[in-house]
Amino acid sequence: MLLQGKNAVITGCLQGIGGATLENFAKNGSNVWACALTPTDEFEATCKKLAEENNVWIKPIYFDLLNQDQIKAALKQIASEKLPVHILVNIAGMTKDAIFHMISMDQMRLVFEVNFFSQMFLTQYITKLMVRQKEGSVIFISSISALDGSYGQLSYSSSKAALIGATKTLSVELAGKGVRVNAIAPGVIATDMNKVVPEDIIQGHIKQMSIKRLGEANEVSKAILFLASDLSAYITGQIIRVDGGIK
Amino acid sequence: MMEARLLEGKNAIVTGCARGIGKCIVDTLAQNGANVWACARCKNDEFENTLQALSVKYHVVVKPVYFDLVDKDQMKTAVKLIMSEKKDVDILVNNAGITYNALFQMSTIDKINEVLDVNFVSPFLFTQYIVKLMLRKKSGSIINIASSAGIDGNAGRAIYGASKAALICATKSLAEELGDQGIRANAIAPGITKTDMLASMTVEVINETVMNTDMKRAGETNDIANAVLFLASDLSSYITGQVIRVDGGM
Repeated sequence: MLLQGKNAVITGCLQGIGGATLENFAKNGSNVWACALTPTDEFEATCKKLAEENNVWIKPIYFDLLNQDQIKAALKQIASEKLPVHILVNIAGMTKDAIFHMISMDQMRLVFEVNFFSQMFLTQYITKLMVRQKEGSVIFISSISALDGSYGQLSYSSSKAALIGATKTLSVELAGKGVRVNAIAPGVIATDMNKVVPEDIIQGHIKQMSIKRLGEANEVSKAILFLASDLSAYITGQIIRVDGGIK
Repeated sequence: MMEARLLEGKNAIVTGCARGIGKCIVDTLAQNGANVWACARCKNDEFENTLQALSVKYHVVVKPVYFDLVDKDQMKTAVKLIMSEKKDVDILVNNAGITYNALFQMSTIDKINEVLDVNFVSPFLFTQYIVKLMLRKKSGSIINIASSAGIDGNAGRAIYGASKAALICATKSLAEELGDQGIRANAIAPGITKTDMLASMTVEVINETVMNTDMKRAGETNDIANAVLFLASDLSSYITGQVIRVDGGM
């Protein structure tokens, strides 16, 4: 129970890393505002079940990261509850892969809007609450592609690299006020995002790993759990690779 | 419902346990359910009493093992003693080390050899022995305590930093060699941490370093021990070859 009595905002809870994080947080005693793009019966049922099983509350919140008014409404809803927000995990993201010369500027702006600007907007608001409480942990999900480069992923890797700059600068600005800011850089994880990648390319990645298999969404969520918890009380401004040791 | 502890039933070896970070690591690992071979340089009643108390408090077995890192025969004897118990070794924490502050031009050959021997050669050899045991079970987690000085390079820390940089590089090579055999290897790079090692620094330098951290405080030994716990546990199952800074943002 690493997060007993904490309240967390997690985006992108519908599937993949976000879904695993929601589950791990609930199991560790955290209440969650579980953010997703659109309501589904299955998601609502999952939230309800996790809440009951773990004796926490989980509130589904819906908004489109491309719609600033919707984000604002969601934030107001969270703030109106007048509860402390201890943890923010920015997971929701997207990719539009294309080789550099084939990327339209509209596509690149779309990726940055979802992966960077919308997260800054959300984080600005939530960290205001955290600074007031003098306590908080913010976690961004960057990517090893931001650190190493990745063929055909210019928009994605650049937007994830922007999150690294934001992580470090926010840490400099906020750590003295009790708010830690870190990022995880996942490697190749078995999620829907990677299902579209051809098998030979996946096998090529695996060859370059020390741990010769894809990562599980749950393994990324366990590192998020560490950064959210007091186990990482003296860790801030860091980018932690969860990549099976890929070279 | 009794909550499952993060290291329930695991067996760990920790070096440098008499005080500071090592002492705290033993406490944290035991608290989380691990049995520990707590290594220290020389026999000490107070140390043994502490270990005994931990065993009782956390229902684990914490035992002292004595050897001097610079004495390779003593090290071998200690390894044999551990092997004779015929238990699995799941976790190795190479924590023991010495500090040394001297300007580059003032570093003496004797000190250069001593610091490299204690901080690099000894943990390297010790790990060679222990990895053999881990390979039998094809699982294990190795954690080397490096230093931010081994990444950044700092004035007066040429040899200390180089010894920790060497340890970091060995960690990465080891991770790559053993990753497909179920053994992970990672390092922790503490920043300024409240231990006896700080006595080697002036108050001005300590204050300046603290003010340079984002968090504006020095780390506690507990902060480092908790990061060790993370890397020792299944929470970090897909993390290998990494150096994690526990430095309050330097």
